[in-house]
Amino acid sequence: MKHEARHKEQEQQQASGVQSQPNSPREFASAEEMLRFDAKQTEVPSGVARRLDDSIQALPPPARSWWRRLLGGSG
Amino acid sequence: MMESLLDGSEIKQERPVSAALAEAPAEFAELYEAHSRAIYYLTLRFLSDPQKAEDATHDVFLKAFRKKDEFHGRSSWRTWLYRIAINHCINLRQSWHSRNIVSNVDAAVWDRAPAATDSPLRVLETKELGERIQKALDTLSGEYRLILLLVADEELSYDEVAALTHQTADAVRGKLHRARKAFAAAFQKSA
Repeated sequence: MKHEARHKEQEQQQASGVQSQPNSPREFASAEEMLRFDAKQTEVPSGVARRLDDSIQALPPPARSWWRRLLGGSG
Repeated sequence: MMESLLDGSEIKQERPVSAALAEAPAEFAELYEAHSRAIYYLTLRFLSDPQKAEDATHDVFLKAFRKKDEFHGRSSWRTWLYRIAINHCINLRQSWHSRNIVSNVDAAVWDRAPAATDSPLRVLETKELGERIQKALDTLSGEYRLILLLVADEELSYDEVAALTHQTADAVRGKLHRARKAFAAAFQKSA
């Protein structure tokens, strides 16, 4: 229900031409609408993905269970 | 591996729970692509510090990767990631508060503030919008700030916001009203 209401709100905004260009005057019906706009303008710094990738690679491999070690199985 | 993280950009839709995630980094890359912006935005506006938000986003996804086997699909991935992020941010804020005296304006002050939540929020320049939003959020209590940020995410229902903030959906609605009012008053002052 909430999603429907939010969808309608978006449709109304589009119909009223609220989707204006950046750096132009505009109105937001609510704090949440303003935050959503702000969130869409906010990019995740690319360094996060790189650091995350390095961190994941540096993680130790998952420990093999005792019975696999005993039987010499892989994984 | 880095390529696998970055190559997930084509798939941005949230997928149902997949056991394959446990073994496939590519699936994790999709998860990152689908939710990293939401997690980064929450940490940015909640912590009010881009560098700390960057660190927090990294830490949240690393923790998610390490704990992915503990995800049982009782919530969406988004909600699960938010839970990790909120706990992480609250821990960080608590450690700051123990070292620094940080005073948010008491909610009761904003309750008396003459700001109409029905009237639209106007901005002349969206260029500096982020800065003004941050200033306004910084005046709110952590709880109000969190509720506003979570409700702003259209992928979350009120019930999910309630679960993430450990209260009922009715309590969220009540506090949301006060949070909007407080935000509007602070935002108008930030002009």
